[in-house]
Amino acid sequence: MSADQAGQQAPGTAGQGTADDRGATFRAVEGGNQMQSGEKLLVEAYAVIWIVILVFVASMFRRQRRLDRRIETLEAALQKARAKTGSE
Amino acid sequence: MATSEALAAGTKVETSGSRSWGDVVFYTVLALCAAAFLITLQVIFFKAPVESTMGIVQKIFYFHVPIAYSMYVGAAVCFLGSAGYLARGTRGWDALARAGAECAVAMGVLVLVTGALWGAKAWGVYWTWDPRLTTALLSVLIYVAYVVMRAFAGDGDSERKFAAALGVLGAANLPIIHYSVQKWGGNHPKVITSGGGGLQHPDMKLALMLGFLTFTLLAVVLIWTRVRIELAASRLSEAEEEALELGVGEE
Repeated sequence: MSADQAGQQAPGTAGQGTADDRGATFRAVEGGNQMQSGEKLLVEAYAVIWIVILVFVASMFRRQRRLDRRIETLEAALQKARAKTGSE
Repeated sequence: MATSEALAAGTKVETSGSRSWGDVVFYTVLALCAAAFLITLQVIFFKAPVESTMGIVQKIFYFHVPIAYSMYVGAAVCFLGSAGYLARGTRGWDALARAGAECAVAMGVLVLVTGALWGAKAWGVYWTWDPRLTTALLSVLIYVAYVVMRAFAGDGDSERKFAAALGVLGAANLPIIHYSVQKWGGNHPKVITSGGGGLQHPDMKLALMLGFLTFTLLAVVLIWTRVRIELAASRLSEAEEEALELGVGEE
């Protein structure tokens, strides 16, 4: 359903009948949901922003940790090799 | 933004454990970014007035638009790095391109999600095939393809060149996203672009300006950090290969 159609059937415009019609029948808005809470959507949007940024930062932190481990391994190997050369 | 040479210098210092001007600038930008986030949130939620027709959900706008801008920053950096890599072939440019693409993906996902949440209230639907939404989705998918390719296709010279070509060609969609609203219409608002009514309250303008500043700093911090890690990783790989050639650490 397009946004135009959703707009045409918005709660403010959907009930075009008389006051009696509106009192007798409740028609659902098809497709769109304009009764969403703005507060809820706002909180969801800001939560998503923080989560995505944190995941991105956490992935970089993880890469850095992996790098540190590789450096440690290389340093240990170098030390071992130096000690070996020194003993010969 | 720092050049790839300056970024490379920062990495060299980082791995040796000392501090340089590059580190000082980096931590200054990081501190400014954190401060800007706090001030921007304060202005958005306690100073900027609630919009008359949209209500409180309009406050998504103060992050949504700057995030879209920082996606452009990431994509532009990817383009710059890719073009630099194709021209020079150095790892610094490649790292810059990769960092830019990852930033573009993160920011692109945020643009699509925050836009969808705003659309749920404004249009009654989370998604519509509006020209700007469609071109933005296309751009995000291009950078997702770039990141996935870099993650799984190996790190050889030909893979880097192919990715660089994608980084250059992917940037072609950026002006299309920007002008799609003006050329093809659609539902996407054009409040701050040409023909739009603009923000009617000075505190609304302040909130948006602070949002731009915050996300510019965030994009710089994320890209810079990612470049440093990437360059350090490539230097380490070279050192490991050299060590193996010398017979170090074989056992």
